[in-house]
Formats: sequence, C-alpha cells, structure tokens
Amino acid sequence: MTNTRLESGNSRRDFLKTGGSAMGAVWLAANASLILAGCKKARTNLEGQAGYENITPLEAIEFAALVDQIIPPDETPGATDTGVVYFIDAALGGFMSGAGPGLRQGLDDLQKRTQSAHQQNIQFSELSFAQQTVLLKELEDTDFFGTLHYLTLLGMFCLPKYGGNRDYAGWDLLGFDHQHAWQPPFGYYDATVHGQPHTRGDDHDHT
Amino acid sequence: MTTRDDMPIFATREAVDFVIIGSGAAGGVLAKELSTNGFNVVVLEQGPYRTAADFNHDEVSVMFQNEMMNHPAWSDPQTFRKLESETAEVLQGGPPPALYSRGVGGSSVHFTGNYWRFHESDFKERSLLGPMQGTGFADWPISYDELEPYYTKVEWECGVSGQPGPFDAPRSKPYPCPPLPVKSSGVLFEKGARAIGLHPQPAPMAILSKPHNGRPPCMHCGFCMGFGCEANAKSSTLASMIPIAEATGRCEIRPLSTVFRIETNAAGRVTEVLYLDARGREQAQKAKAVILAANGAETPRLLFLSESSRSPHGLANSSGIVGKYLMGNGHCTTQAAFEQPLNEFKSVQVTRIVHDFYEHDPARGFYGGGGMDARPFLDSTPIFFAQSGLPPGSPKWGSEFKKLLHYYYTRKMTVLGSTTSVPLERNNISLDPTHKDDKGRAAMRMTYMDHDDDLAMVAFLQDRAVEILEAAGAKEIWRDPIEGGVIQAHLLGTCRMGNDPATSVVDRYHRSHDISNLFICDGSSFVSSGRGQPTMTIQALAFRAAEHIGRFARRGEI
Repeated sequence: MTNTRLESGNSRRDFLKTGGSAMGAVWLAANASLILAGCKKARTNLEGQAGYENITPLEAIEFAALVDQIIPPDETPGATDTGVVYFIDAALGGFMSGAGPGLRQGLDDLQKRTQSAHQQNIQFSELSFAQQTVLLKELEDTDFFGTLHYLTLLGMFCLPKYGGNRDYAGWDLLGFDHQHAWQPPFGYYDATVHGQPHTRGDDHDHT
Repeated sequence: MTTRDDMPIFATREAVDFVIIGSGAAGGVLAKELSTNGFNVVVLEQGPYRTAADFNHDEVSVMFQNEMMNHPAWSDPQTFRKLESETAEVLQGGPPPALYSRGVGGSSVHFTGNYWRFHESDFKERSLLGPMQGTGFADWPISYDELEPYYTKVEWECGVSGQPGPFDAPRSKPYPCPPLPVKSSGVLFEKGARAIGLHPQPAPMAILSKPHNGRPPCMHCGFCMGFGCEANAKSSTLASMIPIAEATGRCEIRPLSTVFRIETNAAGRVTEVLYLDARGREQAQKAKAVILAANGAETPRLLFLSESSRSPHGLANSSGIVGKYLMGNGHCTTQAAFEQPLNEFKSVQVTRIVHDFYEHDPARGFYGGGGMDARPFLDSTPIFFAQSGLPPGSPKWGSEFKKLLHYYYTRKMTVLGSTTSVPLERNNISLDPTHKDDKGRAAMRMTYMDHDDDLAMVAFLQDRAVEILEAAGAKEIWRDPIEGGVIQAHLLGTCRMGNDPATSVVDRYHRSHDISNLFICDGSSFVSSGRGQPTMTIQALAFRAAEHIGRFARRGEI
C-alpha cells in the first residue's frame, strides 16, 4: 500500500540552497587539487595506520566517537572503521582548514557539557554509546554538528582516494556498485523488459 | 588537462572573420558551422580545455566543489534577489544562481541531455492564446517549420537517441539512434502513466545509444548529470562539434580566456574583443564580426560591461530590454520508493517522459504547460543521496539513519516536472552595484521570482506525478516543496529575438538591431521558455543562425 506523504519535506531543497551545511563559502573556496593532495596523505596515513597530521591523538579519539554516532558500527563498519577520522584530519589541514576553529570550539563545548552532565575530567568518548547519543541530541541543530555531519558523509561515501570509504565500506552500505560500464537489466523492474533476470536483490537487507 | 598553449593560428592584431564568445551549446555549433564553411574563427572560452580523459567519477570535486562551474582562476561571485525592491546578496554555499559549466563545450559537457524539440505552439502562443497583461508574452519571429530542418541537423550532427512520440511536432527525418535502454524508473513511470490514461514515450536524449559519427555509445556508467562523459557518448559540443571545427585549421579555441569588453568604434561597429588570457594578461582580438554566445546570463552581463558614451546603457541596448525577461523554467520534484531495487545509479538519468500536459489548457485555469520525466535526479551519486535523499522526518544520524541509507538508496526514483516560465520584465540579469569579481568586473546580479502561473503549473504537474507514482505501485511518495526558483540552469530570454527594434534585441537572424556586425545567439535569444528542456532549441537556433550569418558574410552584408 502506498504511503503518500502530502506534507512537504524540505530537506533536499534546503540542502541544495546551502550546499549542505554552514560552511558553504569555506568549502567552495577550496580547490580540487588541494583536496586531493591533502587526501592522498590521509590515505597513506590510513594504509600505514600512521598518526594524524592536523588533529591531536586525543582529538582523534573524540572525533572517532562522534562520527560513529552518525554512522555507528554494527553488522557493517561504522564511520571510524571506514576512515572518516583520517578524512577529517586531511580536510582540516587543507581544503576545510577554515572549519578547524569552529570544530575545536565545538569540541571544547561538548567536553564542558559532558563534564557538567556527568563528572569532572571525563571525556565524551569515555561515555557509553547511549550517553553520548543523549548529549549529542542537544547539539543537533548547531553548526558544529552540521559540519561534522557533512564531513562524515563526505568521508563515508567519497572515492577512496580521499582517505575515506575504506574498502568501499560506505558504498557497500548503500548498495552502490562502482563500475565504469553496465549493461541492462539495471534493476528489478526493467529485468522483464530486457528479458533477463536481475540478479542483485535485497539479500543483504537490514530491514 | 589540455591548456592548448600551442602556437596560435591567428594573430590578435589581424581581424578574423568571427570571434565567438563562448564554446557551449550554441558557440560550439557556430564554430563548427562557420569554420567548415571557410571562415576564420577564434572562440574565446573562459573555462579550461578539458577532454574526455580529464573527466572522472569524483563526486566530491564535481558535485560539492563545483569544479566544472567555478571560474578556473578567480572568484566570480553572483548576487541574487527576488524582486528589484530588494538588495541582492551573494548566496553562501551551494551552486551560484546562474548555474552553468565553464570549459570548452560549456554546459553541454555537464548537462543531462534531455533533447525535446519545441512544439509548433511554442513559437506562436501569444497569437493562439491572446495577450497576458503585465508580461512580455510574445510570439517568436520564426516558426517551427523554419526551425525544423535545424532540429534535424542537431539530431544527426550532434547525435540524439529517441523515438517520435504521440505529441511531437512533425519531423522530416527519423532519429539517428534508437532510444537508450529503459531503466527501472522508466518502466515504473510508463506503467503508472498508462494506468491513469497518459501516453508516455521514450525520452529523446543527446547521448548515443549506438555508434554514430565516429563516437561510441553510452556505457551506462551513471555519472552523467553534472559530470563530463569519459566515453564521448554524451553529445556535448566538446565531443560532437569542436573536433570538426578544429580539424578545419580555421578555428582556434582559446580556453581560459575571459572576455571583459566588446569594443566598438565611432561608426558604431564592433572592432575587437578584450579578454584576459590564461596568464591574466590583457589581450585584444580584432574581428570583422562578433558572435556572443556566452549563455543567457553572461551574454547580457557582457553587453552591460561594454557600455560606452555611445551606448550608455550597454551595447545593443537601445530598446532598454537587454537582460530583461529572464526565464528559467519552473520545476518540481516528487520522490518515491519501491519494494524492489531500481538501481538508478546506473546509466543515464532519463529514459521515459510524459508530454500529455505540454500544451496550454484553459480548463486548468492558468497559463502554462509542461513535461515530466522519471530519473534518479540527485540520488544517482552516493554523497548527494546520503546528504539529502531520505524521506522527510527520517533520522539524520545513528543506527536507524544507517539502516535507512541502506534501504532507500537502491529503491528510489524521482519524477521531475518542468514547465513554462512567463516572461516578466522584473526577472532579469543586471550588473551588481557593489559586488565585483577578482578582476574588478561588476558581478552578475540575478533578480528572479516565478510568476504565479508558473508555480500553479508546477503544482499541477506534481499532483500528476503523485498519481503516476501511486499507479506504479510506489510504497512511499513524498513531495518536495514548491517554491520559486533561485538556482537557474536554464538561462533564457535576456536578449530576445523579434522584428521590432523597440521590443527586441536581435532580429530573426540573431543580428543585433543596433550593431550590424554583432550577433547574439544562445538561450538569451528565446522569446518564450518552452517546457523545460531548452538546449535542443538553442542548438537548432545556432545551426540556423550560422547558415544566415555565413550568407551575410559571403555577400559582404556584415
């Protein structure tokens, strides 16, 4: 049965207008070669499990907890396992350096909230997953969360040359298959038209 | 990336037959037609000379960094406002209001390739329907019959795949290539449309379904809308026209060349075109005639930037209407999810369309017409989908978000409705009084708010889209909100064509009424907007213009 939503959604239109988050101009002012130079480094770092260039190891632990709140690990890899923290490290060293101060300020603010809600000296990453979720919900509408969310999805679903989407874990999650050439049938509904069975189904479905 | 810093063919100090400003849908056709007919041509293109080897599947740079759209060397902001009473602002983030691709081939490189011919009615709706008070609603000075041979040229010379549909205007020749293979979105759209009594048809696309003119067919890679084609199967002018033009030895493409002024002499004739070359040096190319084909936004901007004491309101603007009557086509999107995977990330965007609502129908109670198509739209690539593709109200993060990303990515499609735009004087391109680009040129200012009838037509098509998707068996359907356009990819009407110099900028041959050796041919020449897919008509106009301009040149009538 069709569930027709007559209420208008606004997420796509808003996204198109703003480029997805608060950083707009900073992001757009960047140029592709800079990104790539930074991200090649991210990839090298990821492959060699090297350290980070632009964030401290402690910051990396906090970012790892944060991006895993956005795409959590479960039966399939989460954002951290997919290389998103390395992607963010590269981004902050190059094409998104303008977003660094805001992210660090946001991180400081998050730790203060963590400590006032729980106990002195505890870090966000040390809370249980459920406790982290509760705290982060309060920040959903902030630029800090918007920037983090934007970077997480970029790092999760970009070409692996940017350091994220490790082992194509992001694309596997979606069911996106990257080939340079396809032949029909492309999907379930055109298979009968093209007279061939469509083989890829929902065999690895979560729902 | 090729920068073509090789030896120039032509010296700047010697007047070439034609300087063409812009190498896109129109400029590429003009360059090919005039050079193969024996004329010497210099094409000035502000973007780089990318070729198929430079194109890739990099969503970050193409879709999120606007790599194809940004100026290659400097910041060139645009400002936007809805009404002339407002102060225009630079929009932060996202693509600019006048969205076009910079590079050899222009926006034909990154376009989706919907190649609908206009109908006979598009050229004479004012006569058919009567006046619309307070608007620039007018007939074209040419008819469909006059343009038909050039539509055929576009289909055969550029390469269009399709099959005639029940509502199409008459054609003199079949399509050169059969329709592209139908996708799941096309099958579902066709099923739903037929179930409610409509007449869906294969989409005419400027993408090859079989080898044609020495170019290979589409590989269905899926990186199509917004991207350049790695296979040269998309019929951009970069793939179809420019190579033929260059092979004549009479056409020099100068990439990374940004024009800032068209110079005229005391006799009121164009003498040379001033531009900044790839190294930022000022150059002046002398020309016997200039053809402005910079698109419906940059063309009027350049005419304004070329003002002088002889033309205080901008070149070719004795009518005062340069820049006015900007039309962008109204659009609506309606999204749906189905039970089984569609895998819309594969192949071209569009394989089926519906033209049942193309013609104006007084029973609807407002002016307008439109077409509809089925496509993945912004869900064809992973990041765009993840950022904005889930139904409204879905969680935006966490384990449920992750599950929904998995569920919806392969199961979604969108129905896009495209409509008329009423030509309004209040919608226009002008120079911004405060903002400038890096080189001191006044920034482009867009003023745009859809006519109420445009939005009514958009809403009408969205209702039909919901009916089609329901009849196709969609599990969920959601409507994107209907709002006035801000970002315009169709830049039309700003130097309209007409017989009367008081109410138009160019004549029926694209010659400016004011300056006999200045021609203007691109989306700016449009008098009405069509139904949402203008590039086919831009190119038919360019083929026709080239024939007449060549005739004038041979007769010494320029």
